[in-house]
Amino acid sequence: MTPATATKQVLLQRLEGLRQIPTIPAVLAPLLRYLQQPVEQIDVQKVTDLISQDKSLAAQCLQMANSPLFGRAQPVQSLRGAVMSLGFHHVSDIAMSCGVLNMLPSDKTSLDPVVFWEHSLGCALVCRHLARKINFSDPGKAYLAGLLHDLGIIVNLWVLPKEFRAAWEIGKAEGIPLHEAELRVLGFSHSESGRLLAERWELAPELIEVVSHHHFPEKASEHQGLVALVQLADLLCRMSGLNYGYIELRQVSLMEESGFAVLEKHSTALKDFDWARLTFELDSYMDEVHSLVRAIYRT
Amino acid sequence: MSSAASIRTGAGAEAPADPELVRIRDVIYKAAGIFHPDTKLRLLQDRCGRRMKELGMASLREYSERITAGPKAQPELVSLLNEITIGETSFFRNQPQLEALRRIVIPNIIQAKAHIPIRRLRIWSAGCSTGEEPYTLRMLTLEEASGQLRDWSIEILATDLNERSLAHAQEGAYGSYSTRNLAPAYRGKYFTEHGDKLQVNAVTRSNISFSRLNLSDDSRMTFMKSLDVIFCCNVLIYFDLASKQRVIQHFFNNLLPHGYLFLGHSESLYGVNDDFRLVHFPGATAYVKGDRAIPGGKRS
Repeated sequence: MTPATATKQVLLQRLEGLRQIPTIPAVLAPLLRYLQQPVEQIDVQKVTDLISQDKSLAAQCLQMANSPLFGRAQPVQSLRGAVMSLGFHHVSDIAMSCGVLNMLPSDKTSLDPVVFWEHSLGCALVCRHLARKINFSDPGKAYLAGLLHDLGIIVNLWVLPKEFRAAWEIGKAEGIPLHEAELRVLGFSHSESGRLLAERWELAPELIEVVSHHHFPEKASEHQGLVALVQLADLLCRMSGLNYGYIELRQVSLMEESGFAVLEKHSTALKDFDWARLTFELDSYMDEVHSLVRAIYRT
Repeated sequence: MSSAASIRTGAGAEAPADPELVRIRDVIYKAAGIFHPDTKLRLLQDRCGRRMKELGMASLREYSERITAGPKAQPELVSLLNEITIGETSFFRNQPQLEALRRIVIPNIIQAKAHIPIRRLRIWSAGCSTGEEPYTLRMLTLEEASGQLRDWSIEILATDLNERSLAHAQEGAYGSYSTRNLAPAYRGKYFTEHGDKLQVNAVTRSNISFSRLNLSDDSRMTFMKSLDVIFCCNVLIYFDLASKQRVIQHFFNNLLPHGYLFLGHSESLYGVNDDFRLVHFPGATAYVKGDRAIPGGKRS
């Protein structure tokens, strides 16, 4: 047995044996599902009710609504006021971020949880933007897929912190993609460990596919288009500064990626999409993502 | 979270352009192929304003007459073009772009030319302004001379339309503003101090050839051959679509099959040219020619 396959065995055993597998707050799934509806159909009171079931999430929403980021003249007193002040998109960002950031170990010697989450949130934004621009079916779903695509990194940080740190350090030293470094050290990448968690969490089938195949969308079965969209958004983020805390020394041609060919089958608008402009626009995303994640992490 | 896609806003509603300014624009376009779209008219007005101040003129009408008629028209047009093409620039201005050149592009070029016996790297700074860009590229290649570029001969072509900028570039003396990003070690290594200015030394000057070139001059553009990399930063922004397309087509033909075109930080070829393909580096973009395998293989 090679050291890498041995590590994979260890991962499986540790994951199976873990009683305290990372869990998302109970309210998160119904809340996010509810917030995915068209805005016109969302009821502020229903959102407020859902959030109030989770005291720490409610407190975080109130704090965020009163943070300088949202710069209100009058302090927001009620949760309902906070929801209205933040807007539904921000509520789901905050809810998801709280869930994930609270789950992550605060060890900053390898991948900093804040940096990791900035990448995920940035990827979510790019996915939604791209989905809208190329008339891809469901921008809300694309957003969630972007947010969760790297679930496996949470697993690796949690279950194999030492080995994951070694992989991250190789990635950083050689400027290679993280999943390649993981493969070398662990014998598998966050795609595989993510799949285990996604299945355990019983995520929707398309999300399981995104988590499992976002580096090789051609391997996806039912939801290739969504997986391809995430692959391209992920790459763009990693090349534009929303990376894993190090620079990948490489030249990326999005149009030559397997995901591009896959996505072209799902969208005729992709051919004329202005990638350069999206790249320049990412600068403004980056500021927004940095402020939001850092504000949530501080509260 | 709101989409930031629509955040990028223009200058907003503006008053209708002064017809004299539009006339000046047309004169410049006809003479130099440099077109100021409506959004750049304010910039043009500022440039005309500087010339008018020097000439003691009060109205645009008077100035537009000066550049269109009489024996002084042609020299004044050159003066105005000089004013227009003067850009703000500094050494090592776009770090991610330079890092991409050093750590990714040059290794790729070395790989692409591995089978060619002559080891020569040709870089063109098209629109080199006052010289900061070509000297930066020279310093960068000198730093690599004992490493990846050992035994390589380096040629840096530096061209600009503006005679005054070129004279400044060739003089090679710079004040604190353009040298603000210069690492202390480079100051001693590549410059000598002259009063409050830094003067590029002989090593830094070596292998750079400066010449005056109008990018709209089709016959001269065809002679810029066998290039590995072209830098054309914040120059095409002044061009209208047709001129831009012509220049870009020349660039495409001038570059070797593995060649790279770098534009300014927020410049894009979208809607200008379909032959070049956009590529991403960490924090920077560039354009490469058509379909070809990327050294290092494909991986997501």
